[in-house]
Amino acid sequence: MLLFQSEEWIERWCRRNNLERGEVLSIDQVWELSKLWYHDRLSPNYHGRTVEQAEEIFKHAGLMAAFWYLSKEN
Amino acid sequence: MTINEPLLWQVRVFIYNHFADTALPPSVEDTAKHFNIEIKEAGTLYKELHNRHAFFLEPETLMIRMANPFSGIPADFRVHVNGKTYFANCAWDMLGIPAALASRSDAVIEAVCTESNDLVQLEIRDGKVAQAAVLGGGVSGTSSLLVHFPLPFARWYDDLVFT
Repeated sequence: MLLFQSEEWIERWCRRNNLERGEVLSIDQVWELSKLWYHDRLSPNYHGRTVEQAEEIFKHAGLMAAFWYLSKEN
Repeated sequence: MTINEPLLWQVRVFIYNHFADTALPPSVEDTAKHFNIEIKEAGTLYKELHNRHAFFLEPETLMIRMANPFSGIPADFRVHVNGKTYFANCAWDMLGIPAALASRSDAVIEAVCTESNDLVQLEIRDGKVAQAAVLGGGVSGTSSLLVHFPLPFARWYDDLVFT
C-alpha cells in the first residue's frame, strides 16, 4: 500500500505501471482501519484471523466495496 | 517433526515483543537461545509460522522480512515512537505500528510519497492523526494524503511484497 499526495499522482502511477486503480482511502480512514486491524497484534492471544473476521473488520471500518470481500455480494 | 503448538505461539509473541522493544527482528539464533532449544527446532518453528502467515521470511532464509506491521529491513516508512525508530512495510503499516504500540506513546511518521517523491511527516497524538506536513510544502491537513490499495483483499497473499 503506497502513500500519495493526490488522486492525480495515483493516476500517474497507475498509468506508468500499467495497473488498474485499486481502492483509495484517506489517512484518517487508514488510521481507523489500523486500530481495528493491529490493536491486538502484540497480544499472546492473537493467533491470526479468519477471512470472516477480517471482513468483519472491513465492515466495521465502513469499507463496503466488493474489493474488501472474497464474496462479491456484500 | 511434530509442532509444539504452545511453543510455536510463544515464539510468535517473542518475535513481536523483540520488534516492539528493539525495532528489529530476532535472529533464529536469538530465538533458540531465548527458549533454550536447538537452532534447528527454532528454524522449524520459524518456517511453520511463515506458512501460517504469522510473519514472512526472506525466501530461502530464516530472516524475518515482515511481521506486519513491522518491517525487518529498511523501508520508505519510518515510525518514531518513544525514542525508537521502526520501519513499516507500507503506508498502512506505518499507521499500524502506532496502533500496535497504542499503550506506549505518540508517534511521528516520516514517509516518502510515491510518484512525487516528496517527504511527508505525520504526527499521531492522543490517538488521532494530528498533523501532516509535506516537507518544503508547509503544513497541510491530513485529508489530502491518500493511501492506494492496489489489490483486492482476495489477492493480498499472492505476492505480499507487491501488496
